[in-house]
Amino acid sequence: MMSENAKIVIVDDEIHIRSLLEQTLEDLEGEPKILTAANGVEGLALIEREHPRLVFLDVMMPLMNGYEVCAAVRKNPALADITIVMLTAKGQESDRVKGLQEGAHRFITKPFDPDEILNLAREMLGHS
Amino acid sequence: MIKAEHYLKSAWVRRQFELMLPLLSSGISAALQLGGKRLVEFNEAGHDLSEGAPGVRAFPLTLEGEQVGTLLLRLPAQNETAQVEAWGNLLAHSLQGMLEAEHGRRSVARETLESYREMALLQRAVTDLNHSLKPAAVVAALLKEFDGRNNTADYGAVFMRAADNDDCDLAVSFGENAGKDFARLKDSRLFADISVRETGDIVNDLSSSPLWAGDVANFQALLWLPLVADGERLGLLVLASRHIEGFSAADLKRAQTLSSVAATALRNAQLYAAEQKMFQSFVRVIATAIDAKSPYTAGHCRRVPEITLMIAEAAHQANSGPFVDFTLDEDERNAMEIAAMLHDCGKVVTPEWVVDKATKLDCIANRIHLVALRFEVLRRDALIARYRALAEGEKPESAETVYQERLRQLDDDFSFLEKCNTGTEFISSEHLARIESIAQQRWNDTRGENHPLLTENEVYNLAIQRGTLNPEERIIIEYHAVHTINMLSQIAFPRSLRNVTEYAAGHHERMDGKGYPRGLKGDQLSIPARMVAIADIFEALTAPDRPYRKPGKLSWAIDIMHRMKLDNHIDGDLFDLFLSEKVYLAYASKHLAANQIDEVDASRYLAGRGS
Ligand SMILES: [Fe+2]
Ligand SMILES: [Fe+2]
Repeated sequence: MMSENAKIVIVDDEIHIRSLLEQTLEDLEGEPKILTAANGVEGLALIEREHPRLVFLDVMMPLMNGYEVCAAVRKNPALADITIVMLTAKGQESDRVKGLQEGAHRFITKPFDPDEILNLAREMLGHS
Repeated sequence: MIKAEHYLKSAWVRRQFELMLPLLSSGISAALQLGGKRLVEFNEAGHDLSEGAPGVRAFPLTLEGEQVGTLLLRLPAQNETAQVEAWGNLLAHSLQGMLEAEHGRRSVARETLESYREMALLQRAVTDLNHSLKPAAVVAALLKEFDGRNNTADYGAVFMRAADNDDCDLAVSFGENAGKDFARLKDSRLFADISVRETGDIVNDLSSSPLWAGDVANFQALLWLPLVADGERLGLLVLASRHIEGFSAADLKRAQTLSSVAATALRNAQLYAAEQKMFQSFVRVIATAIDAKSPYTAGHCRRVPEITLMIAEAAHQANSGPFVDFTLDEDERNAMEIAAMLHDCGKVVTPEWVVDKATKLDCIANRIHLVALRFEVLRRDALIARYRALAEGEKPESAETVYQERLRQLDDDFSFLEKCNTGTEFISSEHLARIESIAQQRWNDTRGENHPLLTENEVYNLAIQRGTLNPEERIIIEYHAVHTINMLSQIAFPRSLRNVTEYAAGHHERMDGKGYPRGLKGDQLSIPARMVAIADIFEALTAPDRPYRKPGKLSWAIDIMHRMKLDNHIDGDLFDLFLSEKVYLAYASKHLAANQIDEVDASRYLAGRGS
């Protein structure tokens, strides 16, 4: 069982991706709180403030890209329990090694399969 | 179901309230209820703000004609009712507008997510379904999409349509006792109906179908889809559920997406399989033609592949020794089989009289009979000489003695030549001298012309030291290996068969480089080529159906091959494997006559071999 107030943060500079992810994740059991940020700087601040269980992080973003956010989160031992899922565009798959080095757990290729997002979130939040 | 509580952000609603409520009156309480959730509440005084509570005015919010939420307002004084009504309507109208806009946005988003889902599904399925070129693997991959990962259905099956009629046969299935249940389904009236339908559909409550007689107790709902490519129905996908309402429209849509990809992949796989089959039958035709060409090699091209694959399998299984790294996949197996079947294909251009040359004087006909006839002429000459001597007054006894002596000598010469002709004995220089002296006897033909007893060509052939082939004929025979290379290198083999020519062409090469046609050494020959070579020799030694020769015994064949190993003719490691894994025995018990199979003391040949 996941705790009632599990939080999920979505960081992506494209509003339609944020909104599609949000709409998809609303179907999760236990009504986790979904928070969004539109760039890396804002996203890192949100992650540090809210300490979510799960973060969906876009790679290509202005100000601070996904790898940098990931690396910054990983540098903070207090945030060690956060699961990070990177969102990569098709064709960026080769960057995965870099993401893994920075401490990402999983990768999802955009356009994403909503069922895959849901299954992944369920798995990461610890319910089957 | 509309989840209106997600439609508006509480922060935004709060701001809306903060901006608007001061316009009304101080001490106002307000709340927004959306779905089952109280999204925002301004209620410092702690009044009862539920709908119907005293002084509470409720404004319904609706979507698609359904109430999805309520705006609740409560004022401390009763005298401003009309104003509350007006402001409440305005606030509700604004919230209603926001809800509707969000509802519209969400339905567009849902469409987008739906296409994302389909796109992702297609992307994955195209890879999975096109991974194999085997029809069975394609339908198995299709079915796997509904089993395991997604668990859409309790049972699933693919039926394949026969090539020449409308029969559908169960190809693969999943689920408890699925094989039996789908066999039963196949006999149902419902199946007879759906198997000829052009499009797929769902029956979500089988008991309501007039064509369903409860044929399969476990099936309550059914989803089916024909697999169609190029307008041709190739098969049928059937999913079944234990539960009524087991399938949704989304399940059907998903199945349609996958099936369209699967049908194309299936069609390609079927075409590929047909091509493969045609090529293999073509290869078999060539092998049969070579085998049929001569009674000396009957069945050879059919049996050599079998032995080759048995040796290869033994090497594949070995988990120590020189063949520990040798592996065999299906492509390789196929390549070796084709190579072994075609190894002698060059023999189609070798003249029969050379292939079949059983004796030295064979030349379309065996010329020994001509020689016999000439000897008969000489015998009669002797008889004539005897009568002439008698007529000329010779003593009968001495004429008889001369005559008998001449006959004895002629018979002796002829039986000597007969023996030479078989090629079983080595021709020494004394033998050769005798052949030449016999040849110098003379005879007269019908025109009175005088000839030597043996022609030059006959002497040349009878003088062959070993076997029955003279050097020219040997070259012609050996040339079949060149023709094999020439012929095979003209075939545009696909990548998986690119080594066939090398495998086939090396079967007369020797480890020491003294073989033909190229004189390659062992390390220049691939392992499969060396396997074909051993199979070729073993088959030739043990072939049961050779004219003029008794079938060789197993121990005799192994003994000869052992000598070939010692002579560095055949690959010693392969010969050892052939013995230690008892490949010879497995083959013998399948193909050789009982009287050929005798005891082989393998340990004798394997002794002293490092482990
Ligand atoms: Fe040959
Ligand atoms: Fe052969």
